Amino acid sequence: MRVVRIGLGKPLLVVTLAALPVFLDLYKAHVAVLILLFIIVAIGLSLVMGFGGQVNLAQAAFFGTGAYVSAILTSTYGWDPWLAAPVAILSTCLMALVVGLPALRVQSHYLGIVSLGLAVALASVLTNATFTGGASGISKIPPLPVPGVDMTDDYNYYYLVLAALVLLVALARLIAGTTLGRRLRAMRDDTLAAAASGIEIPSYRLLAFLLGGLFAGVAGVLYAHFVRYVSPDTFGLDTMFLLLAMVIIGGQDSIWGVAVGATLLIAARNLLTGLDAYQQLVYGALIVATVVFAPRGLAGAALAARRRLPFPWPTLPLPFPRRSRPPVVAPPVLATSRSVASSALALRVDEVSKRFRGLTALSRVSLEVPTGEIHGIIGPNGSGKTTLFNVISGIERPDGGRVEFHGRDVTGKRAYQMSRLGVARTFQNLRLFHRLTVAENVMVALDRDPARMHLRYLVAPWSVLRREHEYRERALRLLAEFRLESLAEEAAVNLPYGRQRQVEIARALAGGPSLLLLDEPAAGLNAAEQEDLKAVIRRVRDAGVTVIVIEHNMGLVMSVCERLTVLAHGKVIASGTPLEVSQDPRVVEAYLGRGTVRREAV
Amino acid sequence: MTWVLQTAIGGLSTGAVYALVAMGFSIVYRTMGLVNFAHADVVMIGAYVTVTFFLTARLPFGVSLLAAILITAALGVVIERILRPLESRDLNLMLIGTIGFGIVLESVAILVWGSFGTAVPTPIPNLPLRVDGLVVTTYQLLILAVSGVVTVLLFWFLDRTKLGTAMQAVAMDRVAATAMGVDVAASNALAFAIGSGMAAVAGALVGPLLYVSPGMGASIGIKGFAAAILGGFGSIPGAIVGGLIFGLVEAFASGPLSAYSDLITFVVFALAMTIRQTGVFGERTVDRA
Repeated sequence: MRVVRIGLGKPLLVVTLAALPVFLDLYKAHVAVLILLFIIVAIGLSLVMGFGGQVNLAQAAFFGTGAYVSAILTSTYGWDPWLAAPVAILSTCLMALVVGLPALRVQSHYLGIVSLGLAVALASVLTNATFTGGASGISKIPPLPVPGVDMTDDYNYYYLVLAALVLLVALARLIAGTTLGRRLRAMRDDTLAAAASGIEIPSYRLLAFLLGGLFAGVAGVLYAHFVRYVSPDTFGLDTMFLLLAMVIIGGQDSIWGVAVGATLLIAARNLLTGLDAYQQLVYGALIVATVVFAPRGLAGAALAARRRLPFPWPTLPLPFPRRSRPPVVAPPVLATSRSVASSALALRVDEVSKRFRGLTALSRVSLEVPTGEIHGIIGPNGSGKTTLFNVISGIERPDGGRVEFHGRDVTGKRAYQMSRLGVARTFQNLRLFHRLTVAENVMVALDRDPARMHLRYLVAPWSVLRREHEYRERALRLLAEFRLESLAEEAAVNLPYGRQRQVEIARALAGGPSLLLLDEPAAGLNAAEQEDLKAVIRRVRDAGVTVIVIEHNMGLVMSVCERLTVLAHGKVIASGTPLEVSQDPRVVEAYLGRGTVRREAV
Repeated sequence: MTWVLQTAIGGLSTGAVYALVAMGFSIVYRTMGLVNFAHADVVMIGAYVTVTFFLTARLPFGVSLLAAILITAALGVVIERILRPLESRDLNLMLIGTIGFGIVLESVAILVWGSFGTAVPTPIPNLPLRVDGLVVTTYQLLILAVSGVVTVLLFWFLDRTKLGTAMQAVAMDRVAATAMGVDVAASNALAFAIGSGMAAVAGALVGPLLYVSPGMGASIGIKGFAAAILGGFGSIPGAIVGGLIFGLVEAFASGPLSAYSDLITFVVFALAMTIRQTGVFGERTVDRA
C-alpha cells in the first residue's frame, strides 16, 4: 500500500459552487450563470492568445456565432435544441478556423487587426441580415428541454452550466498541463525554435483558433438558451474588450487566473450598476495598471505571493493499492538516435545558393558530411554560416541547389519536417522557450507525436497523462546528463547564460536527432564550460549522431572537429582537416587580410 | 462611368480621413514601436474638443481646430509618459494596455460630455458643386484640402527640419540615434504629440460626417488602423495610400450593398493581408532584434 495525498482544493471549490445558488437571490443567480458562461469564453480566449500567442480579437464574435446559430435553428426552423447544439458548436469551430486562416500568413498586430476586422464584418451581418433578425435580434428562443426539470428556472440552469464548466475546465487544465498546451506555449514563446523542435506551426495556429471556437461555441449555445434572446450588441467590441481584460487581468496562460478575472469583471459589471462611466474608468485604469505593473496578471501575483508565504493546500491522505507497473526500460539517454541511417553520407549540400534581396548570402555552396563525423564550419562574420544552417534545417528555402539528408532529397522542406526527419539545431542567439521551465523546454522536443494524436484529449484523456509521466522522466534523465536536474522546474529565462546554452543543447538532443547543428555553442562560455561542451560533443558523436559546429573559437574547432569547411562571402573557400585548413593561404587571407599571408606562412 | 467617378470622389474624401488616422498610428509605431490602440479614442477626443470650441464657445472652426490640435498634442505627451513602460514590450500587453487606456479616454469623454452624441453642422455651407455631371460637395473639398495641407506639413517637418530628421533617425536606429546625441525620449514624446494632433484633425473633419459620440473612435479607429497596416505599417506614404484604398473599397462596397459594406471591406482587407503580409509598402519598423 502507498499513501497518496489528494488535494482538497478542487473538491471544495466544486462543493462551494454547487451550494452557491442557495445563497443567491434571483438576480444574483442570473449573474452567477453569466459569470460561469463568461469563464468558459474567456478560457477559450486564453487558450488562443495566452497559450497559442495568436492575437484573436474575434472571440466575442465566435461566442455570438454559437448563440446565433443555435437561436436561428431552434426558433426559426424549430429544431430540437439538443440537436441544434452540436451543429452550433461545430459551426463556431468552423468560423474560428476561417477567421484563423490569415494566421497562417500574418501574426501579432497584423493578425489582431485582421481578426478584429473579420469580427466587425460578422457583426455587420448580424445587424443587417434578415435571417438574424437585424438589430433587434432573435427572441423567444426555446429553453433546453430536460425531462422533469424546468430549464427556464435560473437556479436549475445554473447546474447545467456548472456541469459544462467543470468539464471544460478539466479539459482546459489537461491541455494546459500536457503536450498540447506545452506545444502552444512553445510556439508562442519562439515560433522558429518551436518549428525546429518539430512542431507543425500551421496546424497549431489553426488548432489554437479551433480551441477558442470550441469553448466560445459551447458557451454561446448555453447563453442563447439561458437568456433566450440574442442581439448583435451582446457580441460586439465591448464584449471583446471585456474578454481581453479578463484574460489579461487573470494572467494570460493561467486557467484559474482567467476564471478569477472573468468572475471579478462580470460581477463588477452587473452588480455595480448605476455608475457606468466611473465603472468604465476604473476598469480601463485597472487594465492599464495591470499591464504596466503586473504583466503576468493575478496568476503571476498569486504565484509570487505563494512563493513568499508557503501555506499548505488542504490535502487528504488516502491509502492506495500499489499498482505493479512494468519498470520503464531506460533507453540510453544520448543514444536515442534512431538506428544510425545506413547511408555513409549524413548530409550532402550541393551548389546551394541563397539571396536576400540584393545580398547573396550563399553562392553555390557544396558540402559533404559523412555519418558520425564532427564537422566544423568556420569563416568570418557575415560569411553565410548561419544562413547555411537555416537552409539545412529548413528555416530558409534555398534559391538554388539541393540538400540531401541520408541520401534523401530534402530541399525546401519546412523546419518542422526537418526536425522530424532527425535534424536538430541550436541557435546563435539562444532561442529557448523562455517562459517554459527547463524540463518543459526539453519535453517539447522529446515528444515526437504528430498533431493528429491530440485526438487523445477527447478519446482517451488518461493516456495523455500517462505519456506525460513518461516524457517527464525521460526529460529529467536527459537533464541529469547535463547536471541540470536541480534546475528542471526553473523558468528557462532565469538561468545563467552558460546554463541556458546547455539547456538548448539538451533540447536539441531530446528529439533523438541523427544530425545535430550547433551554431556557435561556445559563445559566452567560460573555460570550464567549454571543456564540458567538448566532452558533450564527443559523447554525442560516439552515440552515433553526426555533428556540425559553427564556431569562432579556434581552440575548440581544432581540437574537436575532424574536418572543416571554410566559408567567406557565401562561398566555400577551403575544406579539409583542421591542419590542412589552417595552412591554406586562402583561409589565412580571408581571416587576416592579404599582406599577412607571407608572415603567417613562415 | 459617372457612377464610378462619383463613388471614387466620396471614397477619396473618407479615405483622406482614414489616411490621417493611419499616419498618426504609423508615426508613433515607427518611432517607438508602440502599437497604440488608444489612438482611436484620441480621434474621438479631438472631435469633441473641436466641437466644444466650435459650438459651445462659438469660436471659428479654424481656431477650434487649432485649439483641439494643441490640446490633443498635450494629451499625447501625457499618454506617452503613461504608456512608456509598454514600449517594445510583448505585443499582447501593448495591445491590451493601449485598449485599456482607450477605455479610460472613452469614459472620461462620457463624464465630460455625456454619453449621448452631438450632431455637428459643417463649418462651411455644404454646397454641391457640379462639374461635368459629377457632384462634389464643398465639404468634401475642404476635407481633401485640409488633409493635404496636414500631410505636406508632416513631410516638410520630417524631411526639412532638424527635429524631424532626428525623429527619422530614431525610427531607423534608436541606439545609433542616441549615440549621435538625439534625445530619444523627447523625440518619442514629439512623435506622440504629432500623431495625436493629426488624430484631432481627423476627428474634427469627420465630426460633421458622422455623429460625435464617445464611441465614435471604435469604427474609425479600426478602419484607420487597418489602413495603416494595408499600406505597410510604419510607412507614412503607405498610410496615405492605405487610407485612400480603404476609403475607395468601402465606397464601392457600399454602392451595391450598403448594409454589407463593412463585411465586404474587411473580407477584402483580410484577403489582401493574407496575400501580401507586409502591405503595399512593406514594413519599416523599429529594430527589435
